[in-house]
Amino acid sequence: MTTEPAFFILTALVDQPRHGYGIVGEVAELSQGRVQLKVGTLYGVLDRLVGDGLVELDREEVWQGRLRRYYRLTESGAHTLATEAERHAANARVASERLRAVGQRRAAGQRRRPREA
Amino acid sequence: MSALETRYRRVLRVLPAAYRAEWEEEMVATFLASMATDDPDEAEYLDDYGRPSWSEVGSVLALALRLRLGGAGAPPRSVAWGQAIRLVTLMWLLGQAVLGVADKEFGLWLTGKLSWLPSPPPEWGVVTDLWHRVQGLTALVWVLVFVGLLLGHRRVAQVLAAVATVPVLVATGNAVVDLVDGAHPPLLSLLAILLLNVFSVAGMVAFHPDTPPPPPRPWYTALVVGALVVPWLMAVPVLDWPGLWAIAVVLLGVAHLTGPALGWGDRSPAWSHALALAAGAAFTLRVVTLLEYLWGRSTTWPPAGLVVLAVAEAVALAAVAVPLTVLTSRALRATPATMVG
Repeated sequence: MTTEPAFFILTALVDQPRHGYGIVGEVAELSQGRVQLKVGTLYGVLDRLVGDGLVELDREEVWQGRLRRYYRLTESGAHTLATEAERHAANARVASERLRAVGQRRAAGQRRRPREA
Repeated sequence: MSALETRYRRVLRVLPAAYRAEWEEEMVATFLASMATDDPDEAEYLDDYGRPSWSEVGSVLALALRLRLGGAGAPPRSVAWGQAIRLVTLMWLLGQAVLGVADKEFGLWLTGKLSWLPSPPPEWGVVTDLWHRVQGLTALVWVLVFVGLLLGHRRVAQVLAAVATVPVLVATGNAVVDLVDGAHPPLLSLLAILLLNVFSVAGMVAFHPDTPPPPPRPWYTALVVGALVVPWLMAVPVLDWPGLWAIAVVLLGVAHLTGPALGWGDRSPAWSHALALAAGAAFTLRVVTLLEYLWGRSTTWPPAGLVVLAVAEAVALAAVAVPLTVLTSRALRATPATMVG
């Protein structure tokens, strides 16, 4: 099971390799601004993902005199992300069905109440 | 190098050197990119006067704690520290939980609610004002903190521990006021408890979601045994609570040190480390409380027997702390401080 930042970092790397700041921007966009990764959080998660073999180094570049490492998703990372996405989708489905059922019961109850009164 | 970069690199110094060697340049580049702006005036201002936000600093501190206290990806020496901090945190929380329950049991006996037991001496009064009732209830919160942590609810345990510490904080504030008024409040003892509670909340950080929690059964057993035994010990006039702590740590230390000679199996380095830390904390508590008893002494307090026993407890704690510290420093020196391979 991955944490929310790890889930979004993996998702940010699905379409192309990205460097640290690129991941921060993509995660903010994917989560509609809800997940704003701080640098300490990003590298705390990234080193674990690299350690677990879910993400790997793609290439290194020097940009404006500074090191930029690009990371890409591994096959294992893509598999983990797909499993997690399915799990989240299944959870969301269960919650939505339950909410819909309760909503329908409430609506039916409200329709009956005026007649009972 | 801009002043902003210097400031951020200073923050990164809390991270282990090996981690910095691998990640520092990249973290700096990402941080500076996150601070970049198109406005040249603003960029110049940020370079000279900008500072990493509190949330940026917090994220680096959290990472440093995870790496230094044996979280995922930490080097072996940090893993060893993490194990010891987890054990010593649980020991303190167990002690607080046992004292909370024992205090309640003792109170029931003093108020005559345990009529099947011999009556307490008539001169042993019980304080029943609202403040003491609140203190008694918050003392029981430590049981929830202890069990919550063992069940893996670290954040809940941290919040509850902070709540349970509020009465100590209030008592410390009152003690400062009393001190200003010329009285002899137990200010240092309260500060020591406050500090240990704060350390235990911080120590819970070592219970990482990605590290296996300690097996809970022995700890639950210790809670039950403590709750059954400690109330009887509280009735012994020469035993105070720092004394109970001292005796418990000395007994555990002696059992740990003599275990291999008695055929109880090998000594665990994590337990040597945790007991060395516990012995240091118990020694400080013992000496501080004893000095405060003597400072605020009257004709009836402290009893001579308690003073003699307290000195003996301090000596015994020092006697077990020394070999435990030697064992720990040897084990730590033999453990790599950086990642192997």
